[in-house]
Amino acid sequence: MSLLRPLSKLPDLNAANVLLVENEEHFQQKLADVMVNEKSVIVQVRLAKSLPLPMKQEKSRPRIDLVVFIVNLMSELSLHSAEASLKHLAPGYFLGKVCFMVTNARNASVPAERMEAVRKLASALNCPLLFAEDQTPDGVTNAAERLLVILRVAAGCVPMTTALFLSNLTRCTISTEAEQQNSDYDA
Amino acid sequence: MDDLKRRLLQRIIRTMPTQMLKTTLSKWARLNIEQQESLDFTQPKFLLTDQLLALCGESGLGVKHITELEMIYIIDNPNQRLWHAYQLLEAGDDAHSVEVTNFKEQFKVHLTELIRHVSIKIKKHTDEAVWIRIAWGDRSSRPNHLKPTYVVHHLQTPYVFVTNLTSKTMPLLSQALVMATRYSSMKDANLSGRNLSAVRDLLMKQFQQVFPSKHLQPLGKKNQINSNPQIEREQDEQSETRLQIACEAFGGGTLPELQKAIYTLETKLKDNTNKIMTEREQPFRCVVTFKSTNILESLRHSAMTGIASTPVTPMLSSISQKGRNHFLITDKGPGPQRKL
Repeated sequence: MSLLRPLSKLPDLNAANVLLVENEEHFQQKLADVMVNEKSVIVQVRLAKSLPLPMKQEKSRPRIDLVVFIVNLMSELSLHSAEASLKHLAPGYFLGKVCFMVTNARNASVPAERMEAVRKLASALNCPLLFAEDQTPDGVTNAAERLLVILRVAAGCVPMTTALFLSNLTRCTISTEAEQQNSDYDA
Repeated sequence: MDDLKRRLLQRIIRTMPTQMLKTTLSKWARLNIEQQESLDFTQPKFLLTDQLLALCGESGLGVKHITELEMIYIIDNPNQRLWHAYQLLEAGDDAHSVEVTNFKEQFKVHLTELIRHVSIKIKKHTDEAVWIRIAWGDRSSRPNHLKPTYVVHHLQTPYVFVTNLTSKTMPLLSQALVMATRYSSMKDANLSGRNLSAVRDLLMKQFQQVFPSKHLQPLGKKNQINSNPQIEREQDEQSETRLQIACEAFGGGTLPELQKAIYTLETKLKDNTNKIMTEREQPFRCVVTFKSTNILESLRHSAMTGIASTPVTPMLSSISQKGRNHFLITDKGPGPQRKL
């Protein structure tokens, strides 16, 4: 079992590599199809169901700049699988090179606790949490664009900023109860 | 008698879509061409029924002929009913030499011997299947044509497909069928579905089956289609294996359409401290039903995507491998009840 490390390989010129991890293997394909159309950088997409990745392709695999965990809120399994996969990432990734993408959040039959669990997970790991619509083509394009913004920063293709800096601004936070009460009081 | 004729015709016309009416009537061929052409298919169905009834009176057609019309319609559209499969056991020596006329005769004779008030109609369909329509009567009442039982049997096969059969008439039918086909008994095959051809294909194993092999067959063509060099699947091999396992369990290609899979668990409480519950006569029952428009396809898909764990449990895979969708699971151990 090997950890996936963010800086173990040299980067390619003007290239960004993203790893999409989704248990259902459904939305990732749609996202990938849109993301590779990006013109400003060469986007390489790798798809996986869960981590760890097979050792066989270790040599040929480029440096992964961003790991995206796609969680379908409709299924408990999707969340558990993402949680289990997190263990196979080197700590260095959590400095701005991991993000969570949640689908089906608008569905009424989603239990509120699951949403809460994802939120807690993302905030504990200091990762951004994105919401996406996976049913419509517009939603997919939108989600892909948002990922590309993060990806370009994470791959170092945007001057004057770094992934760590960006993640400080975009990471998911949940205010503790005490803070919430304070802000209510202020208002 | 006229009232019965009217009600029967009304019911047939009501269930049939208007587009089907014309072709079915011409297939029926009881009305001559002028009569068929005089029918106006654009008018409401109740007017059409009246017109048809008048024409039947003109040509002297009775209940018998109208049931024929129903039969033609059912043969062409068998998928609106729930079909149960039965299996004939222990073939006699001459079971393979039964032919249609002989079968017809024997079946009629045996069934009328068992019950006096019964109306039987037998028709041989083009695909070697024998269709039997039975209207059951009581000891004192005439055959009820409004609730007929349909039986489909392919000669020289041990399977019978039945729809609309009550437990009261079941032994009669089973006895007559067993005698006519020269088998010694008939049992429930625990398979039912709305699609007759699917039920038949599943029992006779007429769907693409995949056998275990160490070398992956090029089943996963779907994955090779996206040949975009910028997208790479890291776990292609795993998904390929899952696909192979799923196809081994449920079969490849398009699968027969089944609507339900029902599992009934019967068990007894085993607890030394709780005597009352342990000594209870009746077992505890738990029924799990899977429903889908195509249950086999759904199960295969969930095994393929990893929602159901692989290797697939024999509980699920025996739907296609044993050809049944009702399962009774009982406690292991001595006893005649154990079935799975």
